[in-house]
Amino acid sequence: MVDFGIPIGAGIAFGLGALSTGIAQSKIGAAGAGAVAEKPESFGLMIILVAIPETLVILGFVVASMIMIMLGG
Amino acid sequence: MLQKMIKIQVVGPKKDLHRVVDILYREGTVHLEDVSDSIAAGETMLRRMEMEKTVDLLNLQGRIGGMLLMLSDKWRVPVKEQELYNTYMNLSQDALMGEAKKILDELEAPLKTLATEKSDIEFTIANLIRYEKIIEKIRPLESQLPVLEGFEITVILIAREFREVLEIIRSALVKITRNQFELISADVDEETIATVMVFHKRYSDDVHAFIHTQNVNEVRLPAEYLGKPFDEILRLIDEKKRGLEEKRIKIEQDLNEIAIRWGNQLEGMQRALKDRYAELSVFNKFGQTDYAFVILGWIPKKFLHKTAKALKGEFGERVLVNEIPLTPEMLEKAPTFYDNPRIVKPFEYVLKLIGPAKYLEVDPSPLITLFFPIFFGLMVGDIAYGLIILVFAVLMKRRFHQHEAFQQLMNILIISSFPAILFGFLYGEFFGDFGEHMGWLHPIEFMGITWNRMEAIVPLLILSIAIGVFHVLLGLFLGIVNAWALMSCEHHTAACRRHICEKAGMMAVLVGIILVIGAVAGMIPGVLMQPGILLVIVALPLIIYGGGFFGAFEIISMIGNILSYARIMAIGLASVILAVVANKLGGMTDVALIGLLIAAMLHGLNLILAMFSPFLHSLRLHLVEFHSKFFEGGGKLYKPFGKEG
Repeated sequence: MVDFGIPIGAGIAFGLGALSTGIAQSKIGAAGAGAVAEKPESFGLMIILVAIPETLVILGFVVASMIMIMLGG
Repeated sequence: MLQKMIKIQVVGPKKDLHRVVDILYREGTVHLEDVSDSIAAGETMLRRMEMEKTVDLLNLQGRIGGMLLMLSDKWRVPVKEQELYNTYMNLSQDALMGEAKKILDELEAPLKTLATEKSDIEFTIANLIRYEKIIEKIRPLESQLPVLEGFEITVILIAREFREVLEIIRSALVKITRNQFELISADVDEETIATVMVFHKRYSDDVHAFIHTQNVNEVRLPAEYLGKPFDEILRLIDEKKRGLEEKRIKIEQDLNEIAIRWGNQLEGMQRALKDRYAELSVFNKFGQTDYAFVILGWIPKKFLHKTAKALKGEFGERVLVNEIPLTPEMLEKAPTFYDNPRIVKPFEYVLKLIGPAKYLEVDPSPLITLFFPIFFGLMVGDIAYGLIILVFAVLMKRRFHQHEAFQQLMNILIISSFPAILFGFLYGEFFGDFGEHMGWLHPIEFMGITWNRMEAIVPLLILSIAIGVFHVLLGLFLGIVNAWALMSCEHHTAACRRHICEKAGMMAVLVGIILVIGAVAGMIPGVLMQPGILLVIVALPLIIYGGGFFGAFEIISMIGNILSYARIMAIGLASVILAVVANKLGGMTDVALIGLLIAAMLHGLNLILAMFSPFLHSLRLHLVEFHSKFFEGGGKLYKPFGKEG
């Protein structure tokens, strides 16, 4: 029988990371768009700020990879 | 590297002030400081210098600039212009302004007359061409127009998209003229329709009033053309145009004569007035006594000798350049002068995002120059992608050579593409696994590991984390160096001591944790576990002393920072997976051309991501994870007094 636990676990690890990154980026992005409209010179800094929450999805990706590699056999 | 700065005081007799300022302006090496900040309360000898009146200077500069705009610059001779500029700059302010007024008195009025005449003629010619074009278009309609005495012919222009307005005009004319009118239309061009209306003159006012309300463009022919046949009008227009053109050429010749005779003088004078204004506008930063002036400023050590020599050559011992002994407090406020090799400049530009470092801080730009391309290369790691990025960046750099920001970004991409190619060899990647599939190259075996990114996920993760540990440790060490440099300032001593304890504690904790993990995992001898635990225990009080109770929580944040370097592996892996998918999908179709197209599209997408994502994440690793360990910022950039650029 196929063991679905491992891919589902990896999927949850990655999916929740991606979801939370999305939520965080949406808020930073909205605030950033306002800030850039007021001060166009802050564009570069805003790009960096928007990229900050990507740590979540990247760590999710790493954990998912670990689950697949270490438990997947 | 940040340049060593020296604080200088220039002192001399007041009568030499203008010349001294002029020399400093030409040298362009001194970052001026406001003397009034150094005047102690109750000081009676030294006082602030009042700014001289510069409004007249600005006004003259504007008027001369206006005259230059009327003249062509093709007659100017740069050498002669420079000579005249030098002559003007040697004049006193009053003499310079007198000279400028003399030029204006002689030239301004005739030049304005000529320019106004020229512009009137050009306007009239443009109008005549417009009439000509319209009449040419409606000429074929002439045969349809009734020739009647007392009738008026009016032409209106309507944009094609509003052609329905014609019907409104038609029904209005029916009412106004009791159906005694003619309305004929013809296309002038792709966007405009010309409509000729013929009606009795007694309805003229009502018709024009109505047309005005419809916001259409009425072509009002000059009175001399009214009531004449179109052919006759065209002939008259042509005649008039030729006459005006001759006049315009004559004026142009007159203007050229003026440009040849006066152009260099005007340009030299304008530059002299501009520079003199820049010189005078800083006078309120200077100090004065009854007979002497005092100028304070910072100068990079390497420029000091040259500037002092220039002043000495002109004034001998009359004007003195004194080096002021520096206190740590002064150094803290010294301007920051980045003077790095060319390769570092693009990264300096990116670091503007977080503002300049303080003078006493370590310049982070050489470090980012070293690590950024490595991180980028580790993430992209593909020979073909690296080559394409290199070519793309070189082409874009040539194409948009006027945008400085774009140039610098492309320079970063050019520098970073080389490690990308190099790591491509290590990973054995050319368009993902395409190179390996074709037997052109294979992943290299190094340290007992075959660096195939699809398979060596764990070694790559460990490598990324190891880079993170090193980078964060380096950041903490630089934090200690910065705090040490600032500690000599009395009001910073206590805070710096705490910072040093905190950073040293963090480094010890990090090393301790690594020893413990290494020993547990069996990667290092188990005997090193106790020293690791000991290091953590010893470091905790240091961290709590340095950063307070919450300082201890910083350990978690630091570990988070290190784990964040896992993105080097993760983004690289995502990139190679997409490349492999592109190759697989491309290879699945039976038609080679379609397969090639699919693969090219996916590789194209991956390339765009490969340029954007690794760039952003490398930058982020520096600005967020690395710089937060040592960089305080808030310095002021060295802005020498002189011509900009």
